[in-house]
Amino acid sequence: MTKNTRDADVAFIEALAQLLRENDLTEVQVKREYGEDDSLNVRVSRLSPAAPAMSAPAPVAAVPAAAPPAPDASSAATPEDPAEHPGAVTSPMVGTVYLQGEPGAPAFISVGQQINEGDTLLIVEAMKTMNHIPAPRAGTVKRILVEDGAPVEYGAPLVILE
Amino acid sequence: MTEAARQATELAGPTWICALRQSAARGRRGRDWVNPEGNFAATLVLPTSEPPEMRALRSFVAALALFDALVAVSGRVDGLSLKWPNDVLLAGGKVAGILLDSLPDHLLIGIGVNLVQAPMASEVEASAVPPVSVLSVLGVEVGPDVFLDHLAARYAEHERSFVTLGFAPIREAWLARAARMGETVTARMGTREVQGRFDTIDAQGRIVLTTAQGREAIAAADIFF
Repeated sequence: MTKNTRDADVAFIEALAQLLRENDLTEVQVKREYGEDDSLNVRVSRLSPAAPAMSAPAPVAAVPAAAPPAPDASSAATPEDPAEHPGAVTSPMVGTVYLQGEPGAPAFISVGQQINEGDTLLIVEAMKTMNHIPAPRAGTVKRILVEDGAPVEYGAPLVILE
Repeated sequence: MTEAARQATELAGPTWICALRQSAARGRRGRDWVNPEGNFAATLVLPTSEPPEMRALRSFVAALALFDALVAVSGRVDGLSLKWPNDVLLAGGKVAGILLDSLPDHLLIGIGVNLVQAPMASEVEASAVPPVSVLSVLGVEVGPDVFLDHLAARYAEHERSFVTLGFAPIREAWLARAARMGETVTARMGTREVQGRFDTIDAQGRIVLTTAQGREAIAAADIFF
């Protein structure tokens, strides 16, 4: 089991390294939870050259003729942590998430849906208080990052709006 | 609560809305709440801009007010206790339910009390606390309007204490009335359940259990004895 796990971990890290190169990222961090006391926390980074490498593929890189130097470029690239995403709506408290008003009712939101500022995105329950989490602004639901009935921590990303 | 939510935006100050007859009562997560005429059903609308963690502590403020209102109408304390976070038990049975809805500018505290009639035991979940009524256990008949007078007055006292002194005194008073302290209880959450010794509630109002894996503070669960 240990060897299999180790091999799987190595393969995973290699895949991350490849992802890093192919997308011209400088750093990627992933945490995988397999169970209690069983998680893998990997950070793969590479030294960014002093001048941003305007190498071959990345079509995204076509834009930044006057792009800021490396550190900013990397953070603006593809934030891996959804909590860092500029469109992330985070949980204001510890609790349990519900995607519907009540079991069997339609979900408040779905991916791709246009929503208005103030619309309820979901509910976070704590101490039998159903906290309706409103959309901080109008936009489109890009991702729903939580499952119905799942526990959430303070600051956990719930939904990405763009 | 539906009506209260509809009216909430037009209310400037704290307001009780009392239903004489309730056509769409509900419990937590869509559970039915049966409320025949003569029972108490009301919602307190509190305009607020407080952060959510403060609002959630109103669960305990409301539970204390309800406990004290039941003491006031019955003239006795024995047999009454609180179950986390805001159930009031009478002779070990569920006599009332509280549900809070937190909307952007308002907190709605919905309270139902079995004054004259409790649902049949077969109408609630098998493992749930059996339902009882004030009339059946205490032999006291009290109307919803009289009950509201007591409840609103007690709520105002505890609310004042909460706003001026914070959660600490509310927490102390709640713990003093808590059922099954130090005993093993089951907390059923959305995706799992744990068993543990009920030790206390923490400063955020979470129930603290000592389980086989250690201490755990839980913010959202159904508690079973």
